[in-house]
This record gives sequence, C-alpha cells and structure tokens, in this order.
Amino acid sequence: MEEDNKIKIEIKAKLVNVSIVRVAISSFITTLDITIDELMDIKTAISEAVTNAIEHAYKDEELENATVVINAYIYSNDENIIKIEIEDKGMGIEDVETAMMPTYTSKPELEHAGMGFTIMQTFMDEILIDSKKDIGTKITLIKKLKKKKSKLV
Amino acid sequence: MKYNYEDGSLKIDLDEELDMSACRTLRSVIDGYIMRYQPHDFIIDLSKVKFMDSSGIGLLIGRYNLIKFMDAKMTILNPTNSIKRVLELSNISDKITMRCE
Repeated sequence: MEEDNKIKIEIKAKLVNVSIVRVAISSFITTLDITIDELMDIKTAISEAVTNAIEHAYKDEELENATVVINAYIYSNDENIIKIEIEDKGMGIEDVETAMMPTYTSKPELEHAGMGFTIMQTFMDEILIDSKKDIGTKITLIKKLKKKKSKLV
Repeated sequence: MKYNYEDGSLKIDLDEELDMSACRTLRSVIDGYIMRYQPHDFIIDLSKVKFMDSSGIGLLIGRYNLIKFMDAKMTILNPTNSIKRVLELSNISDKITMRCE
C-alpha cells in the first residue's frame, strides 16, 4: 500500500480544539473523491476519539501540559484508504472491553452518552486500540472509500 | 441558539456543532429556560445543526431526564440525515418523539 499523503496535528488537550481537528482533517481528505456520508462518518469518529483522549487520558493536574497528536494518512491503490491515529500520553484505558460497551461511561455526571466507541466502530471499517497503563493510548481508525463511478465529462 | 415560549410550549432552535465543548455550555443554558418556563411541551429543533457526535446524544438524554420529571413531553424536530444516523445508534427514539416537518 502506497502512502499518498500525510498530515500531523498536535493540539493542547482542550475541548475547544476538537472542532479545529475536525475542520483540518476534513480539508485534508476532501482532496479525495468522497461522499458526504463518508466525510461525516470520519468527522464523527475523529471527534469521538479526540474527545475521549482529552476527557479521559489525563488527570486534571496534568492537563496544562497535555497534548493529543493526530496523524492522518491517505493510501491510494485500487481504492482510497484513510487511516487516522489519535494518540495521547495519558494513563491508558484500564479495561478496554468495558470501555467499548455501548452506553458505558466512566463519567455519567458529565452527561457522556458512552457511545463513543460504538460510533467509531459503526462509522469506520476498522478500529485498533493500543493502550498501555501510564504510557498512553493510540486509537487507529481506518476507512475504505467506496469506488465512485468516474465522471464521463 | 434561539428559544421561543408560547402557550406552555418551549422551542429551542440549535444551530451549533453539537460536540462536547458546545454541549457543556448548552446544557446549562437550556436547563435555565426549562426551569424558568416549566413547559408542558419541550421541542428541540435540529434542522440547523450540521454536526453532532455522541455528546449530542448525552445532551438530549440529559434534557429528557429533566423534562420527564416535570411530566412534560419532549420532541426532537427535523434532524438532518447524518444526525439521524448518530441518533439511531442510541435508544433515544424509544424515549423521545422524533418528528420531521
């Protein structure tokens, strides 16, 4: 698989930055032939992963110096594949299986719906979770774009 | 965000991107209006909302839990297709009426 293009974004772990990541990644992937549904799927999944990293990875006293790194790749072969990695250097997810259960949330008082991983799993083709205690978490999201009919004119 | 109260009916028109940052501000603003007007009918219009992630589900369920205690009815109005797809992943439509007009 040939890497066609890449972008790296590093943000301070603040919720206001989530919309900036969405806009940046959207611009990056709209260079491809992509449907609105596919674009919305990717935007929503990224929003979940970046929000999770900001909300759950760091202790309150660590947040001032905490960052989240987002790498996005485009691979082109017979089909276009988009891969996005969302990486933090936080505490790690203690129990990945529980965290992935629909409607499970460790912070119900903040009105988290606990649907983040469900959305990532449903809207992307593949999700990989690499989490190590006190080292951090890397979420990899992969979406294969459907082949469009080429325009005749 | 806009709001309108008339004859026991409180309608909120949202136009922001419903992510965690926006929802955190909105929940206290919306709850302020709910507490002030104590409506029988509570309507949230999503027709101008272009983006929503699971934070939006949390916002809607949170308001529903408040409305339910007041014995009032809650309706979600005009979600766009992409927002409907997010809503459908939750069991929110079992609890809250969804209507397009």
